[in-house]
Amino acid sequence: MPALPCLSALPFLAAIGLNHYIAVAAMLFAIGFFGVLLRQNTLVIYMSLELMLNAATLAAVAFSRYNGTMDGNVFVFFIITVAAAEVAVGLAIVVALFRKRHTVQVEELDALKN
Amino acid sequence: MTPAILALLLLLVPLTAALLIAFFFRRAGGIARFLSVGAALAVAAIAGHLIFRTGDTSVDVRWLTLGDFSLSLGFLINPLSKLMLGVVALVGFLIHVFALGYMKGDASVARFFGCVSFFMFSMLGIVLADNLAMLFIFWELVGVSSYLLIGFYLEKPSAVAASNKAFITNRVGDFGFVIGIAWAWVQFGTLNLDAIAARIAADPSLALTGVALLLFCGAVGKSGQMPLHVWLPDAMEGPTPVSALIHAATMVAAGIYLLCRIHFMMTVEALNVVLFVGICTALYAGLCAITQKDIKKILAYSTVSQLGYMVAAFALGSLYATRHPEQAGAAALTVGAAAAMFHLTTHAFFKALLFLGAGSIIHGCHHEQNIFKMGGIARKMPVTFLTFTAGYLALIGFPFLSGFYSKDTILYLAGQVSPLAEKLLVAGAVLTAFYMTRLWVTVFFGRAKSDHSDHAHESPLVMTVPLLILAVLAVVGGGAFIYAGPLAALPLSLPHIDEAAHHALFITSAVIVGVGVAAAIGVYRVGSANDRLEQTVRPLHSLLVGVQRVFDVLYGWYVEYVQQRLAELLGFLEHLLVSGLVVRGSAAVAGVLGIAARSLHTGNLHNYVYWFLGGLLAFWFLAFGL
Repeated sequence: MPALPCLSALPFLAAIGLNHYIAVAAMLFAIGFFGVLLRQNTLVIYMSLELMLNAATLAAVAFSRYNGTMDGNVFVFFIITVAAAEVAVGLAIVVALFRKRHTVQVEELDALKN
Repeated sequence: MTPAILALLLLLVPLTAALLIAFFFRRAGGIARFLSVGAALAVAAIAGHLIFRTGDTSVDVRWLTLGDFSLSLGFLINPLSKLMLGVVALVGFLIHVFALGYMKGDASVARFFGCVSFFMFSMLGIVLADNLAMLFIFWELVGVSSYLLIGFYLEKPSAVAASNKAFITNRVGDFGFVIGIAWAWVQFGTLNLDAIAARIAADPSLALTGVALLLFCGAVGKSGQMPLHVWLPDAMEGPTPVSALIHAATMVAAGIYLLCRIHFMMTVEALNVVLFVGICTALYAGLCAITQKDIKKILAYSTVSQLGYMVAAFALGSLYATRHPEQAGAAALTVGAAAAMFHLTTHAFFKALLFLGAGSIIHGCHHEQNIFKMGGIARKMPVTFLTFTAGYLALIGFPFLSGFYSKDTILYLAGQVSPLAEKLLVAGAVLTAFYMTRLWVTVFFGRAKSDHSDHAHESPLVMTVPLLILAVLAVVGGGAFIYAGPLAALPLSLPHIDEAAHHALFITSAVIVGVGVAAAIGVYRVGSANDRLEQTVRPLHSLLVGVQRVFDVLYGWYVEYVQQRLAELLGFLEHLLVSGLVVRGSAAVAGVLGIAARSLHTGNLHNYVYWFLGGLLAFWFLAFGL
């Protein structure tokens, strides 16, 4: 990996390579995934989902930097834009759900059973 | 206007009347009557123009194409169809007028006239059709209108049963007919009558006995030939004008017309079968008529018998032509077609007259149909009496009336072709004279045997005028002079009968009439109140009744013990295999799968995420192999 000029001012940062970023992204993704899997509150599940999305974003930026192209960065902007819209819709759904059912616990939301 | 446009108009006028009545005037009897009779008048006028003012034509329009099979609709107008057209249009119009009086006061008069107009449309389609497929379509349409009109009195169970019987019996004949049409298509590559005629003229070996006999099946069903005659006597449940129009003058004669139209497809073997069927029918129906008490049923059996004569006439004439090819010459009709059509035409006149006369009597006697409850009608209904008598004499072949000439032609041909056939047909003619005299003396003479006939009254003018016109036609219908213009093809095509044969025939006919009438008067006396044959010679009467019922009993037995059993067996197999195994079985498999799939559907978000994870892992393993 070529030395990054802006990071060379802080020598310990120069030691951070692609693998580190990927590891962080993987950890974030795993945390998000288990959050979705284990948490009961819809809002928290939703936050976990966002965490997974951000893990993917981070990986994309890291790869983009590693390859020296702008593709991943452009991608990231799209992801952020879409995610913003998605958050607006998703949160609105959660609010509407709470108003209707007076709960956001997923184990109680099983109207589609069978 | 071109003949094609006129022919099209001929079909569209009654169809329009029928559709208008069906959609707008079902409750308006007055308008419906006006429309229907107006349409019949227009048909008569157009037909007259078409017959006398235009030449022979043939037009053809491609209708639909399926691969190399194409159906076309078209008109074939030649002397034969002109003659039939004249009969249908003229007799049809007179019967329409008669029905105005007969159906007066009926609640469903609009339905009646709508159906009759629909019938006229279908019948004219048969007459004009230039190919077998179109002919078959209209053939079925007359079947439908006949069904509708036989069952006209819906509230009578016997009428409903009779209409079903007529429809089903005709299906049997039409099944053979449609197979014959398919075979003709395979054999000739076309269904157009002219084209088939040209093929056979080029190569006579193309004509197949099988095709001819299968097509004859249609005629057997429609024209009430043995063994499918059973529906025609029952069809008398319909209103009497319908019996006159459909079940005496025109529709039942369509079978004979069909034979004449396809005469070039006949082979000698087929003609022998046709002759056999015709003679059997003529004799058998004559025997059946003797024991009947219902005036319309006697006439119905008489119709069956005369249709047998026509079929026999066609076969005899065609066989005669094969033996005397020098006579064919330039005649427009073959001898067979001419002889059959001659009897068809005179029969249409006098049998329509007899049925309308019977209708007038029934009308006058407040719907009494038993001849032994009538009596003394001659004085009360003089016009009906005179006209009915004209029809009666024409039917029994009284010298110089129409039936005399047409029946003589048949007997002459029979004498030339087969002496046995001649003897049988003479016997049939004696039977005709016998049962018709029985009817005539019982109905018109003696004293009234019931209140209804005691209060009988002459029918109104609207009914008696058609009777008078038909009576004139029944009297003069045998003379060559009424076949004017293109219709002259008929008398010109008849075989030439020399002087000696003519005298012999005259004597034969006189003897036939004399023996039949004398025997009937001897047995029944004049104006008897009950069936004297039944009282005096009981075994003979029982035998005749048995002979008459044998087909119904046989068919009843067949349906009950053979067809019904088979149907039950097939029904059981169907329940077991088709609806049990295939239909319900496949439904059960789908149901079980559904239950399994539903149990996966927990509604719990976390379960779905696990499924998602599982799917992802499976995909991973698939993609990268562990």
